[in-house]
Amino acid sequence: MKRLGFYLLAVGWLVCQPAASFALPLEGMGCEACHRLSAEAPPGERKAPDLYYAGDKLRKEWLVQFLQRPVVLRKAGFFTAPGFLAGEPDARPHPVLSEEDAKKAADDLAALKLPGLPTGLVDEEPLSKVGRVKAKILFERDYSCIACHEGINLAGQARGGVSGPSLAGAGNRLKGDWIVHWLKTPEKFIDKSRMPVYRLDEETLAQLTRYILSLKKEPDEWTR
Amino acid sequence: MDPLTRPRPILIRLAIALLGPLLLALLFLACGREENAARPEAPAPPPAPVAEAPAPPAPPKAEPASAETRATYQWYCAQCHGVKGKGNGINAKWLTVPPRDHTKAEYLETRTDQQLFDAIQQGGLAVGRAPCMPRWGDTLDEKTIHALVRYIRELCECEAI
Repeated sequence: MKRLGFYLLAVGWLVCQPAASFALPLEGMGCEACHRLSAEAPPGERKAPDLYYAGDKLRKEWLVQFLQRPVVLRKAGFFTAPGFLAGEPDARPHPVLSEEDAKKAADDLAALKLPGLPTGLVDEEPLSKVGRVKAKILFERDYSCIACHEGINLAGQARGGVSGPSLAGAGNRLKGDWIVHWLKTPEKFIDKSRMPVYRLDEETLAQLTRYILSLKKEPDEWTR
Repeated sequence: MDPLTRPRPILIRLAIALLGPLLLALLFLACGREENAARPEAPAPPPAPVAEAPAPPAPPKAEPASAETRATYQWYCAQCHGVKGKGNGINAKWLTVPPRDHTKAEYLETRTDQQLFDAIQQGGLAVGRAPCMPRWGDTLDEKTIHALVRYIRELCECEAI
């Protein structure tokens, strides 16, 4: 009888353990309800940005902060949402994690990478003043990025279209190498986005990437 | 001597000989004029019927845009131009220059199909319009862009003047 009680207790203890203790990265956090954690997951399950290359794309420090104090990066919602074009974004807020869970999740996300993506492609030194002006013209005028993405205007305010994710804080959020890969070969990451494909020469690609990295406006929610 | 048989003086006979035919001729000519003057002007003969060129065949009515073209418009264009092409997409209110309303003929009929094609393929800046319009030439092939131009004509119910 005592032995049976012991087994029951042991089984109960095991069942009550948080799933994450034994789990694959991020499992049990519910991320997969909206994000695809694997390229093999059906595209129909994509309700939020894919995360199976989060380690290539996102900066870990930003992830830790975002997961504790989520902010809206896509004011019109995710581009696959039914209300996207109608301007009726899904109003469900992103779950909030504790600091501990946020750090754990950021570690797990940082490990999610596509195999063989080259790194070290970008000179991350800030642009000179003149270089920044030239690149701003590329961003806002020559390549029309501002039509769908927020940038930062001369008054330091986030301004621009909302169908794409805000880039006002892109320098804190995105990795330079990923920006290059995305601009050059978006098909590596998505079958079909709503963004135009551009065949950029290397110099333009580098200028645009460095400009996007220079956009470092913290969300208002984080600066209060 | 009977005055009737008495011979006329030579001068009178000469005058009759010369003036008689002249008077007769004048009388004849005058009548002719009068005849002409009196004749009511004949109505102009009806213009000979111009052989009418056969009417050019009516231009074939454009096929309505295919479901694929409409889907392409919804996927790419509607972000700014709106679901129904009214220029009120989700980005519209954030743009310095409002996106074109594709249902308004007043402007679109002043643009040729080629100009619309160029604006889509090369972007607004390349055709002297707003730089907010990106170029889609590396995203969409020419056939798709031509189909979008036809769809815009369908939305505005207009053709280039």
